[in-house]
Amino acid sequence: MVENRPFLSFLTHLVLIIGVVLVAFPVYLAFVASTHGEGDFLSGLVPLWPGPHLIENYRLMLTEGISTAGAPPLWIMLSNSLIIAIIIAVGKIAISLLSAYAIVFFKFRFRLIAFWIIFITLMLPVEVRIIPTFKVVADLGLLNSYVGLTLPLIASATATFLFRQFFLTIPDELMEAARVDGAGPMKFFRDILLPLSRTNIAALFVILFIYGWVQYLWPMLVTTDSRYYTVVMGIKRLAATADAEPRWHLVMAAVTLAMLPPVLVVIFMQRLFIKGLVETEK
Amino acid sequence: MATINLVDLKKNYGSVPAVKGINLSVKDGELIVLVGPSGCGKSTLLRMVAGLESVTSGRIEIAGRDVVKAEPAERDIAMVFQNYALYPHMTVRGNLEYGLKNRGTPREEIDRRVKEAADILEIGPMLDRKPRQLSGGQRQRVAMGRAIVREPAAFLFDEPLSNLDAKLRVQMRVEIRKLQRRLKTTSLYVTHDQLEAMTLADRLVVMNNGLVEQLGTPTEVYDRPATLFVAGFIGSPPMNLLPVSALDAASGFDILGLPPGTDVVGIRPDHLTLESSDEPSLALPATVELLEPIGGESHLHARLKNGDHAVILSVPGRPEIEEGATITIHVKPADLHPFNRESGRRTDTAVANP
Amino acid sequence: MQTKRTIFPNKLLPYILLAPQLAVTLIFFIWPAMQAVKSSFEREDPFGFKTTFIWFDNYKRLFADPSYINAAGNTFVFAISVTVFSMSLSLLLAVAVNRVLRTNRLYTTLLVWPYAVAPVVVGILWWFMFNPSIGIAPYLLRGLGVSWNHRIDGSQAMLLVIIAASWKQISYNFLFFVAGLQSVPQSLTEAAAIDGAGPFKRFWTIVFPLLSPTTFFLLIVNINYAMFDTFGIIDATTAGGPAQATNILVYKVYADGFLGLNIGSSAAQSVVLMLIVIVLTAIQFRYVERRVQY
Repeated sequence: MVENRPFLSFLTHLVLIIGVVLVAFPVYLAFVASTHGEGDFLSGLVPLWPGPHLIENYRLMLTEGISTAGAPPLWIMLSNSLIIAIIIAVGKIAISLLSAYAIVFFKFRFRLIAFWIIFITLMLPVEVRIIPTFKVVADLGLLNSYVGLTLPLIASATATFLFRQFFLTIPDELMEAARVDGAGPMKFFRDILLPLSRTNIAALFVILFIYGWVQYLWPMLVTTDSRYYTVVMGIKRLAATADAEPRWHLVMAAVTLAMLPPVLVVIFMQRLFIKGLVETEK
Repeated sequence: MATINLVDLKKNYGSVPAVKGINLSVKDGELIVLVGPSGCGKSTLLRMVAGLESVTSGRIEIAGRDVVKAEPAERDIAMVFQNYALYPHMTVRGNLEYGLKNRGTPREEIDRRVKEAADILEIGPMLDRKPRQLSGGQRQRVAMGRAIVREPAAFLFDEPLSNLDAKLRVQMRVEIRKLQRRLKTTSLYVTHDQLEAMTLADRLVVMNNGLVEQLGTPTEVYDRPATLFVAGFIGSPPMNLLPVSALDAASGFDILGLPPGTDVVGIRPDHLTLESSDEPSLALPATVELLEPIGGESHLHARLKNGDHAVILSVPGRPEIEEGATITIHVKPADLHPFNRESGRRTDTAVANP
Repeated sequence: MQTKRTIFPNKLLPYILLAPQLAVTLIFFIWPAMQAVKSSFEREDPFGFKTTFIWFDNYKRLFADPSYINAAGNTFVFAISVTVFSMSLSLLLAVAVNRVLRTNRLYTTLLVWPYAVAPVVVGILWWFMFNPSIGIAPYLLRGLGVSWNHRIDGSQAMLLVIIAASWKQISYNFLFFVAGLQSVPQSLTEAAAIDGAGPFKRFWTIVFPLLSPTTFFLLIVNINYAMFDTFGIIDATTAGGPAQATNILVYKVYADGFLGLNIGSSAAQSVVLMLIVIVLTAIQFRYVERRVQY
């Protein structure tokens, strides 16, 4: 629509710029803090411009960590986070693809019950059943292991529903043509359905990768061995060095590193990210 | 090359019958068209033959073998779908090859058949493209190609031309006919378009309500519709169906001698004329409501003075008639199709398919 | 429930396909949930040797416990504030982005990334901003004559967690509002413009009513978020303090169960929370069903 209201345009951009600043400022401050040295925080106000200690701080955190705070080098925690986020994302996608396939392309006696069992997981976030879930994992001997960190989080109703929704939009004829062409159920799944689901899988991967990366409570409960710490929970330990003021520059270096991977994923895969986010919630 | 036999074939969805007992023998190399309004059971019937729909009771024999329990892939048929159902992520070549690969056809044989089909359908240059890069007509050809490469006992067509625009539809119709003649593959073809059915079929099966209304060659069905339903369905514009009382006052009514039980007569629009001929004929006074010139002929919508019935005439050229004018419509007694409303059937003679 | 027109005839295969999902669900979701329900009716002696069945005693005690009532009140204030605050800001930004043409991709990119920041990291960021001794916010507030110390002042602590939790949720709400705005037919606003409605009037009389499905959806999602996904934010900023001022229900379950080792009470709290989620989910799905009909 052609409309010329210069003041309104000005206002629009003003609102957006303020919004962007508001959103970015806390992160900017954290980054700035991570470039300063030990003594720069004694003045009574955080520095507002970057300092000269960037490389030094980051190298220290990546390679050594802060042993006094019980935090291993960051590269270990970062790689744990990466491994866990990938296992969770891939695992969720895999089991959701299979179960959505079963629900849409087959008729069997307990289909509705299966659907409801999956549906129920929506209503039981880990935060509300922490203790008994912890007990199960402990009883199975899965504390301090990648399996214990990931497996209990891998069931996914939303991913299953997304794939179900998508499968229902695939024309019936495609499956019929494949059957006439001699494809059995697994062949159809592999040759036709998986390739067609590519975009959905990618979009979902972005969302689930972030989901896995930002997990906090669960890793905190099931890991006591620092070899299995993830970066998100590790930071909390760094920051919470009880009595003393935290060593801000190092904590913020860790914070920046912990934010970077998922934020980069969002920025560089924005289209997939938006698709994944908006569609999983439908 | 094969025959298809359907014996008392029935299909119920729950307690709702969709196909109510169909008997049909398709001869080797014959193209049979199943035609009828939507919901008449024609697609269900075809899909039962394909093995995509379970059979409630009855037998399906393809090439003499009972296939009711067989998987679609084991029936030696190929199917062309309305929306083409091309695998969107595969190239045209991939689409053609997929069924052959699944059957373990040797590579040289696959290449030979793909090349042959591509030559027949003139899609050679498109083999490495994806379906979405093709036009509707080209996709249709690829869908045909996918059926041809299989060299099946029978082709099943499920409204294959419905998604094309009018012009392309006529063109593809001719091509399908030519192709079928050339390959001589037994074919079942489903459509709701009666013109498509008339032009394509060796024999025509008119279906309604899960039953066969009439089976015959297109000319048989057109010239002697067995039921009121067929009379109204086949032919465009449709046959005029009038109660006998509408003719009562017409001069010459006494010469008719309609068969006993007749209470409805059908008259094709092109059998109603504005000029009387030498032969004895009925004369019906009417008022012109609308004149639609459609090129070489015109459709004249009129209303009979007697009983206020609307009729359509198909007249040659563009007659100079004002709307609202009074005319006299003539029809020869021999062109009347007598029916009984209650039974829905012809009353003059027994017809081909009861 | 819907399937394909034709289905594969296999009998065993669907069960095999579903097995992994169902196994994980049963072992890590359903079974623990049932355990929670069970222990919410039991009392365990201090050494864990003996449990007795005590009917609703845990619940009775819970609802009589002032600290639980306090946590419920905090949760209410927190959830409503976060929802209103975050949604209004997001709507404003979404409307603005919807008005600009060339730069909207850029603005979108700059506004959506906080979605990827972990809640606990969000907590640390804002904790740093509001740190009473070195934070920039208290420094600026001092200039305005406000003395900020959320370690002592409960209302300030609540304000801090609300701000942090809202900040994190802006990107999510923003994206859904943008999607909602884009689905408002251009022809409608054009018709309104021809009818003489100015931009603000058009928004309130045409666009906003048409956004109501999105708004309602986000309302539920945000309440859900504030109640359950903000554990990390609370833990990193205030840990429920000072003096329980920011202790919300989901944090209390954890604190009582893991730190306080009060299994029966924590289990009863879990069950109450489950009921809340069930209600929220039911509302959300009823609404989704309605939307499908449109």
